Formats: sequence, structure tokens, C-alpha cells
Amino acid sequence: MKILIIEDELELSKDIIGYLNAQDYLCELAADYNQAIDKISAYTYDCILLDLMIPFGNGLEVLERLKAEKRSDGVIIISAKGALDDKIKGLQLGADDYLAKPFHLSELSARIYSVIRRKQFDNSNTITHDELTVDILSKTVTVGSNIVSLTKKEFDLLLLFLGNKNKVISKNALAEHLSGDIADMFDNHDFVYAHVKNLKKKLTEAGCDNYLKTIYGTGYKWEL
Amino acid sequence: MSKLLDKPFRSFTIYALVILVCSVPVYYFVVDAIWMEELDEHNWIIRKRMEKGIQTAKVDEKQLNQTLKIWNKLQPGTKLVAIDEKNITQNRIYTTRTYNPFEHEIDRFRVLSTAIWVNEKPYQLTISTNVEEADETLIAIAFVTVFFFFLLVIGFVFLNKRISKKSWKPFYKTLDQLKNFDLSKDQHIQFEQSDIEEFEELNQELTTLIKKNATTFNQQKRFIENASHELQTPLSVLKTKMDVLLQNNTLSEQEASTIEAINSSLSRISRINKNLLLLAKIENHQFAEEMPVNIKQTLAENIELLDDYFQSKGIHVQMNVEHYSVKCNPTLLEVLFNNLATNVIRHGNKNDILRINLTGNKLTFSNTGAASLSADNLFIRFGISSSETTNSGLGLAISKEICDRYNWTLSYQFNDHLHAFSIEF
Repeated sequence: MKILIIEDELELSKDIIGYLNAQDYLCELAADYNQAIDKISAYTYDCILLDLMIPFGNGLEVLERLKAEKRSDGVIIISAKGALDDKIKGLQLGADDYLAKPFHLSELSARIYSVIRRKQFDNSNTITHDELTVDILSKTVTVGSNIVSLTKKEFDLLLLFLGNKNKVISKNALAEHLSGDIADMFDNHDFVYAHVKNLKKKLTEAGCDNYLKTIYGTGYKWEL
Repeated sequence: MSKLLDKPFRSFTIYALVILVCSVPVYYFVVDAIWMEELDEHNWIIRKRMEKGIQTAKVDEKQLNQTLKIWNKLQPGTKLVAIDEKNITQNRIYTTRTYNPFEHEIDRFRVLSTAIWVNEKPYQLTISTNVEEADETLIAIAFVTVFFFFLLVIGFVFLNKRISKKSWKPFYKTLDQLKNFDLSKDQHIQFEQSDIEEFEELNQELTTLIKKNATTFNQQKRFIENASHELQTPLSVLKTKMDVLLQNNTLSEQEASTIEAINSSLSRISRINKNLLLLAKIENHQFAEEMPVNIKQTLAENIELLDDYFQSKGIHVQMNVEHYSVKCNPTLLEVLFNNLATNVIRHGNKNDILRINLTGNKLTFSNTGAASLSADNLFIRFGISSSETTNSGLGLAISKEICDRYNWTLSYQFNDHLHAFSIEF
């Protein structure tokens, strides 16, 4: 899977690349508008992470160009602007998702995972992971032949874990994934613990191996 | 406080009254003096006419005395009596009062007492003419004066109104414009041209002052927005770095708890920054799009989003909300409800009840509390400095800003151990 990161803040892109490389993604970097145009003219990508404020141009222009060429690369806008207008404009121009800075790497990884799935497996969008099968469209989870009934939040958490295999995800990141911007308003995210516990219990009861590990003091990890 | 124009009006009126009152005796003396002068002259004319008349008539003495007897009886104004030569006195002019039996009053008379010669014999001639009574003159003058005083006052009132309407019009217009002016609303103010120098000067000075203030205000707003924008990137880097650090398998328990602590401070900075940015955006009139929003539905969605947080604090939400719809930006309404609800989660007691009531156009969020919050700086940015790490100090300032934008009233009350935040749409 090839990913292009269009981002001028080097420290940030370095960490994103490091995190995604470990997820078996192949990452390339464009640090300004010209590099971005060069890259998208030469190659196609499974997913493009697009910062709107880049040197020598505007991220939205890159998006317009992709659209004009009828490209099918998935695009996720990562912007510090966070302005609603930009979000709407970006999505109208054909971006697949919008993530406001600052964000958790786990959230980014999960979004990339979902965008690529959506682009490539239009109709039968299922994830199979040993005995575990997740149908993203119908939101059903089966372990072998057992159907596991999960709440919406438990299902969302499962997708986040599957998009961040072998990564430690902090409680804060989990809370943000579940409640979005609102999670920012609180310091106490203990409710996450209850949801993870329920998810773990339901999966193991259905006969699934215990992949979900608690990392003391920091968060959780889907370990293979 | 009295109005500017009433002040000279009052002084003018009092001054006019004093002058008119003083003028009454002056008028009286002048009129009386003229009156006397005229009557004296009149008396002298009569004397001359009589003297000449008698002398030219050439009546003999006997006949004259007989005529005088009748004359003195019938003609009350004059009296001609023969006198001895040694009794001739100087001409005398004086005022006398005599009883008037017909009108039962004492009348004033101006008298000329003089001697005339008829047939070489002296006669004493006394001519008395009725003078207007002093008090009658005085009353007449006073009456006329009062009449003119009222005429003056009516004139003052009328002129005052006309002057105030015409000359002061630009001033009152300026005042009105200033009353409706709000620096934060990015309004342009154009004062009406005035042909009065002082007002024109005032308007020009005001325009300069407002322009200067508006510039400063806008710079400040832009500064906040730019500053928080600039902060977003380093914050993103920090947040990502923490995520990377977390992946380290060899983290000790102590290191993990340090990371946790850094993370929570980082969250707080992000939160403050996000809120500052939001506040700047609201002030800069972003979120301009408006549509009718169903309050009940928005509230329900909001509460559902916060469900996890309510549950983990054991707070039960009781909604008693009628259908009501307002025209506003849906995002801002969500932010408003969110701020009020998250406050309850952050500061409220455990296992409490949050009551949300909407009756008429008044929406109230109430929960129990021990003591009243200080209402003075509740809605001011960072007005409540709190050591609590969860507090951004901006939530209520943002709520207030949103309410102000739509002219809703946001108020706080503490009654029966209940904190109540109300919005009147």
C-alpha cells in the first residue's frame, strides 16, 4: 500500500511515516506544493494525506487537480485550520476524509485503513483476521460461525484496533475516536475501560483468541 | 438629570420673571408721573381759558357773583371765589383725596389753586381733576405684565423646541448612533454632516476615535486567531511524538505515568487553544450560515454524544423539553449546549441529576451545588482561575459570545442549592 504525505512540518511527517511504515505502508513525502504536483503526476497512491497550508500553493489546489484528472487516489485532508468551511469545501472537492490537527497517529492510521478499504473493496468490504471476520458495510462481526453482537461503540473500537495492529493506543486516543472533539473537553476517560472490557469479553466468549492486551498505565494494544 | 436645553430655558424664564416683576413699579412711577404732568398742564389750560373767557365776557361784578354762585354749585371741577387782595397766595399745585359720595370711595384729585383778576378784583380759582387711583394703575400694569410674561414663556417653550429640533438634531443623531454602536460587531459608523462647528468637530473626533479603536480591536482579534493557528502545528507535533513514545516496549511504569501526565497537560493546552480559536472565529463572524434548528433534537443528539461521560460520573439527565425552533448556526448551537452540559460533567457532583427544561423560550440547565458561583466574572475569559486541570476557562465566555450574537440572554442563578444556567431565545 502506497501513501503520499503532503506536509511541510518535517517533525510531524517523520513521525507519521515512522508509524505507518510499521503498519506495512510504503510512505513518500512531499514537503511543498511543487513536490506534491511532481509526485502525483508521476505516481498513483492508495491514499494521500494532504495538508492544506503548504509552501508555494494551497492544498485545495492539489485536490482540484486530482479531481480534474479523475484520479481514484483516496485523500485525507489533515489541516490545522479546522475551519468548517475548509472541511466542507475539501469534502465537496472530493476528499474522502478530514482530520483536524492535532490528531492521534492511531486515529490517522484507522482513517487511512478505512479509506483504502472503501476505495478498493466497494461491495464486499470485509476484514478477515484469522477466525475473526468483520463486515464493515453491514457492521457485523463473526468469530467462526458465531455472530458477535457489538454495540456501535464497541464496533468502532474494534475497527480502530484493526487499523493499528501491534500499536499501543492511549486511552485518550480511544476516547477521541469514540466521541470526537468532545473528548478534548475532559481529562477523565475511564468510560473507555468499560467499552474495551465489554468488547474483549464478547470476542473471547465467541471463541476468539485474546488479541487485545492492556498495557499498564498507557492504553491498549491489538497484538498479533 | 436635566436636559441640556432645559437649563438655559429655566434660567431665561427666571430672569424674565425677575425683570418683569421689577418693571411693574417702574412702569407705575413713570405712568403716574406722566399722568400728573398732563393733568397739571390740563389744569393750566382750563385756568387760561376761564380767565380769558370771563375777561372777554365783560360781565359786571354783580352779575358775575350771581353766576359764580350757580357755577360753583353745578360745576364740581372748578371753583371761583372772590378774595381779598391781601389773601392772594402763590399758585399751588397739589394732590388731594376726597370722598366720592356717589361711588362710596375716596378719589384722588390733582388740584391747581391760583388767583385770577376779573374787573380788577382778585378771585381764587381752584381747579381739581380726577386722577386714576394709584392701586388701579398698579393692578392694570401688573395684569399686563403677567400676560406678557406668559406670552414670553410660551414663546420660550416654542423656540426651545424648534431650536432643539433643528440645531441639536445632528447631536442627538450622533448620540443614537453611538448608543447602537458595538465595537465587536465590525460596524461602520457614518455621522451626519452638520453645519454647526462644534458638532462637526465632535463627529470628526468620534470618527477618528472609533477608527483607532476598531483597528486595535481587529488587530487583537487577528492576533489571537493567528497565535492559536501558529500553536496548532507544534501541538500536533507534540501529540504525535507522544504517540510514538508510547510505542516503546521498554517503558517503565514510572515513564508511562510521566507520559500520561504530559499527555493530560497537552490536552489542556490543545483545549485552550481550540477554544481561543473558536472564540476568535465567532468574533470574526465566521459560522455565518443560519437555518431553523430544532432545539429538542439538537439537545438529544448532544446528550447522546456525552452519554459515556454522564454515565461514568453517574449523572442522570432529565429532559423536559417542548418543541421549539430557533434560527441560528447549527454548529454554534451545538457548541453552546455542549459547553453547558460539559460544565455539569466537569464540575457537578457525582450521581447527581442534570435537569434540562424548556418552557416557552427559556431553556434551563440546572444541577445541585453547594454554593453560588461568582456571577460577576463567570462569563469573562479566564474569569474563573481554577487549579482544576479540566478547566479551559473559556467555555462560558464562548457561550456568552454565541448568545450575544443572536441576542439571546444567558444568565446564571443559584436557588435552593441549584446552579441554573438559562438561555432566553
